[in-house]
Amino acid sequence: MNDHSVLAPQSPDAARIAELAWTLFGMAGVVIVIVLLALALALRGSSATRARLATRAMIVGAGIAFPGVVLTLLLAYGTWLMRVGDAEALPPDTLRIEVTGEQWWWRVAYVDAQGQRIASANELRIPVGRTIELSLASADVIHSFWVPRLAGKLDMIPGRTTRLHLRADHAGIFRGQCAEYCGGAHALMAFEVIALAPDEFETWLRREAAAAAEPASEAGRQGRDLFLAAGCGGCHAIRGTEASGTIGPDLTRLASRRWLGANTVRLTADNLAAFIVSSQHLKPGNRMPEFRVFSAEEFSVLTAYLAELY
Amino acid sequence: MPVSWVRRLRRWLPAALVLAAAGFAGALFVAGSGVVSVAASRGHFPFVEGLLEWAMRRSVQHHAEDLAPPDLDSPDRRSLGAAHFHGGCAFCHGAPTIPISPVAQHMLPPPPDLRRAAAEWKPQELFWIVKHGLKYTGMPAWTSQQRDDEVWTVVAFLRQLPALDARGYRDLAFGPMVPPPPDGRRVATEGALSDAVASCARCHGTGDRGPVSNLVPVIHGQTEAFLTAALQAYAEGRRESGIMQPVARALSSQELLQVAAYYARLPRPPRQSAEPPATEAALERGRVLAADGSTSDHIPACLTCHGGRGLALYPILLGQPATYLAGQLRLLRDTTARRTETAAIMAPIARRLSDRQIEDVAAYLASLAGRSP
Repeated sequence: MNDHSVLAPQSPDAARIAELAWTLFGMAGVVIVIVLLALALALRGSSATRARLATRAMIVGAGIAFPGVVLTLLLAYGTWLMRVGDAEALPPDTLRIEVTGEQWWWRVAYVDAQGQRIASANELRIPVGRTIELSLASADVIHSFWVPRLAGKLDMIPGRTTRLHLRADHAGIFRGQCAEYCGGAHALMAFEVIALAPDEFETWLRREAAAAAEPASEAGRQGRDLFLAAGCGGCHAIRGTEASGTIGPDLTRLASRRWLGANTVRLTADNLAAFIVSSQHLKPGNRMPEFRVFSAEEFSVLTAYLAELY
Repeated sequence: MPVSWVRRLRRWLPAALVLAAAGFAGALFVAGSGVVSVAASRGHFPFVEGLLEWAMRRSVQHHAEDLAPPDLDSPDRRSLGAAHFHGGCAFCHGAPTIPISPVAQHMLPPPPDLRRAAAEWKPQELFWIVKHGLKYTGMPAWTSQQRDDEVWTVVAFLRQLPALDARGYRDLAFGPMVPPPPDGRRVATEGALSDAVASCARCHGTGDRGPVSNLVPVIHGQTEAFLTAALQAYAEGRRESGIMQPVARALSSQELLQVAAYYARLPRPPRQSAEPPATEAALERGRVLAADGSTSDHIPACLTCHGGRGLALYPILLGQPATYLAGQLRLLRDTTARRTETAAIMAPIARRLSDRQIEDVAAYLASLAGRSP
């Protein structure tokens, strides 16, 4: 529950949003107490009190000047607090990650020091303490990128690239969700940001960048052959194999992810098989056809292969 | 004036109601008594027959009014229609060299001899009758209500039928296939000539001969697994076709496996009939789609599965007639006529294809040399 809460910030940006929220809640609380007090006096007060409440000075002062001043101050405070950071002030070690909203999943590409893109999907891993620049785009309709504990939401608009900066102060797992209705499976378009210690992240990224290893087990090899023969590679890529489709999520490191189908179900062998055979049941409307052609034995080698993709 | 009208109605209404009720009760009594004969051997009273015939013609005319026929002079439609007619319709409706069966002649009404009667109807009326059948006659509806494409092939043939002599009919219904010479023992054990010419070969060809029409797939050299699954799907009605379902259903499970194995081992036949050539630009667009797919349209590359290296359950599409491929893609896209495991994979993809993409990719796949086993 807490992993999606605006009020439990874990980054400087999210902390400022939370601070603004608390300030606004606080001021709203003060104002409502004053208003209720005035109401009580107006209804139950002595006639002298009520006469004082009805003076012209009171109406102009408390009814016009007071809200005008308070709202102006809050607006100035909010504008100052939420000012857009200077892009040139980005530290040199800023990590760039491209995230593209698709119906209904997240295409992810880490841009390494050489400018190479490392394809992934539906999960973001970031190093703690480093500034991340997210280039947000959309492949179809408007989506919105929102990780409440790390940053405010930012729309992903077709034909435009928007930028969002964030930095996680602590290691942890933070849930994100598409925050703009984008069609049938919108509610099942979520993801996780996993903040890792910097050295742990570097190790992970090196692994992520590499091609998938040759399957170690016989079942894995059979599973790979089945994966290719069944045409999975028409939509999904697994680097190091012939599978090079770019329609669906890149599966090179599928087994290292925690979830399946953009946080629809947890990644387990059973759920993998279930997603392959009845994806429309688990995530109605998603673009993956249902593969009911496999026998139980074929499912076991296929999931054995996919389990080796970590 | 209105007052007297109402008064008159009031006077006669009870009597009219009583009369109607008595008539209805009388009709029920007569029907319930069992004296009315439903015997086909007795025929109708002439005035009843005239009334029924008139109502039938009016109904067909009315329902067929707005139908728009495709090109009915297409040789592909005509020869596939003829091959189906020979197996499915000639028993009742006759054909050159094939007299109407005496069994069918004793139906009521007797099925018309279409060598003459086909000319009495407009093409869209024939379509409507073949697709929907006729109530209170022996004329059945087409096996699938989603295969208008097949019904039109029969109509294309029927338009030709009145002008055909014995030889013309043979050529159309059998293609260049020569039936085995008659032989007393064979006739005695396997039946007469019309049955002896195998159902599959009439449309799909055999060893040295490909399909008779570009509406028919080349099944030579497809995998046994694919052919078996396709025949089983037809037999069980999970794949709809008024042409294939009756044929597949008539096979025993043993025969089904045998015929699948037979075609799986046949080498690829030479191309039977040419198709209109596609432009270079169309072929190139088709090549890109077949080889690379389209990420923005969410269409995976056809050749990932259909190039000959896919699962044995996937058909090999290289060198299939473009007309057939485009027709099947439209069926997958626009109808639910295919409800097999493999159609569950292909239909969502077909639904993303535009008409132009279908034409392009069909033309490109057709241009590729087929694979021999």
